[in-house]
Amino acid sequence: MIDLEDVSRVYRRGADEVRALDHVSLHIERGRFVALMGPSGSGKSTLLHLLAGLDRPTSGRVTVAGRSLNDLSEDELARFRSQHVGFIFQFFNLIPVLSARENVELPLLLTSLGKSLRRERAATALRVVGLGERALHMPGEMSGGEQQRVAVARAIVSDPEIVVADEPTGDLDAKNAVEILSLLRDLRREFGKTVVMVTHDARGEQFVDEIHHLDKGVLDRTVAGGAALRAAGDAT
Amino acid sequence: MSWGSLLWRNLARNKLRSALTGGAIALAIALVCFLATMPDGMNRLLEQFASGTRVVVHNEAGLVYPLPYAYLQKVRAMRGVVAATSWTWFGGVFVDEEGVSFPNFAIEPDQVGVVFEDYGIAPEALAEFRSRRDAALVGRATLRRYGWKPGDLVTLKGTVFPVDLRFRIVGEIPSERAPHFWFQREYLEQAVAASGGRLDFLGTIWVRVDDPARVDPLLREIDETFHNSEAQTSTETEKSYFKNFFGMLEGLVMLIMIVTALVAVCIVFIAANTASMTVRERMREIAILKSIGFSRRLVFGMLVGEATLLATLAGAVGAFASLGLSQLVRAAAGGWNPAMGPLASFIVTNTILVEGLFLAFFIGMLSGVVPSLGAARRGVVQTLREVF
Repeated sequence: MIDLEDVSRVYRRGADEVRALDHVSLHIERGRFVALMGPSGSGKSTLLHLLAGLDRPTSGRVTVAGRSLNDLSEDELARFRSQHVGFIFQFFNLIPVLSARENVELPLLLTSLGKSLRRERAATALRVVGLGERALHMPGEMSGGEQQRVAVARAIVSDPEIVVADEPTGDLDAKNAVEILSLLRDLRREFGKTVVMVTHDARGEQFVDEIHHLDKGVLDRTVAGGAALRAAGDAT
Repeated sequence: MSWGSLLWRNLARNKLRSALTGGAIALAIALVCFLATMPDGMNRLLEQFASGTRVVVHNEAGLVYPLPYAYLQKVRAMRGVVAATSWTWFGGVFVDEEGVSFPNFAIEPDQVGVVFEDYGIAPEALAEFRSRRDAALVGRATLRRYGWKPGDLVTLKGTVFPVDLRFRIVGEIPSERAPHFWFQREYLEQAVAASGGRLDFLGTIWVRVDDPARVDPLLREIDETFHNSEAQTSTETEKSYFKNFFGMLEGLVMLIMIVTALVAVCIVFIAANTASMTVRERMREIAILKSIGFSRRLVFGMLVGEATLLATLAGAVGAFASLGLSQLVRAAAGGWNPAMGPLASFIVTNTILVEGLFLAFFIGMLSGVVPSLGAARRGVVQTLREVF
């Protein structure tokens, strides 16, 4: 599903070069819930941006859903993201002047769906995240956890194969963080989504199938997550 | 939700700011629409003032230079001349006023009714004007301004001639466009003679021509007749005369148009500043939109669309307000407030309305382009790094 071959990403900061990723190779199977972990500045967000089609590598090859992202123009990358990737960010980032349903509907404006179908899909996505009753509420009228669930609904409304989440629990209390992690796990379990999450949250380890640790731009080690371990335990 | 409602919601995000920017644009467009009526309005005003068969003769050197009084008889004798009367500026000041506040002229009473037939002076008033040496005919606006009525006695202090004259108002010049104060030339001649002087000149000669087709030949004939005289003449149609007379006003109109253009440019900067603030405040949202697949072009279009929608709506308010006001003035001039008569010539036409709307549209486009371009071109990762 996601293949990174010998990928490096170098940024220029004035006269200096910053090597955010250094010859990283990674393969993620379809339908996996994957965590990218590591200290600040380890390159995990850069890796997430590359595999989500937000950025291009300095060298190496990124292939997602059978498409080489290296060869796509800016517009093609935007189209790729709208069709294949759903995004969840740390700070919910809902449009404050739109209701929950309208926020969820946003990615569907880029499709050829009619107004009523868009509305219907948005309502369905909100029901999936347990907020069917709050469709008409404005973001300011919702708690942080609810807003993040609206963001999850927005990420899945166009039915992308991949959902990427950058610190999705970073701004939530423990209860809401667990709810969001459970929701992401359900996306993988019930809808077959491939979920890639950058997190510092140790609780996340229990929900994912695999954890890739990065340090100083290098893929340090890969370990099985709690979900995979439990699955293995159930099998034995 | 549609694209339109998305734009509208974004505009309504900061209502006060949108209202203030919209207000500035609306006011500017209303001003532009009003001022755009000036060139046509001036022309319309001149058409109203001017008769097609009336010409005016004055000294070629300028209006302040006199012509010999004998010219009047020579002009009256020319072919095609129905009637002619002279105007001599008296420069009378009323009571304690510091300067001349209405035009007052000494004229020949015998033919004035024919030369200014279109003014509609009552025959009885004309008859009395001819029969009384101290009679005066006064324009409606001047009568109204001073609260005078026929039968009143009015004294004017001479500023050009060393005489003060007392007049009896015998009638009205029932035209809003003629605030004049006319009195008999003979009365002035006698007063000047009594003070030891002699009045043997005139200011201008007003001529009624029998046929519009005769006007052009007559203009040439009059000037050729006096070509080798002591005072050469310049004869022109009434419209041309007023146009030259208001020449300075045309310069003022031009100046106003330039200032208006500068106002429009200022409004572009104000609207651009608003658009910049809006874009800066929404960098995080813009990054999110780009992440979920909004292309640069789409983000650019959306932001420019917001600025254009605001400017066009505000422009429509301004343009229609100017149209409404213009129609109100016309209604007032034709009904309860005839003093507004000249203002009724300045009409906001459909063309001006459409021009105003287009100007507002372009103000919106221009103001939105630079900040929107910057936001659209900024890389999504760069923005995400800056705002998260």
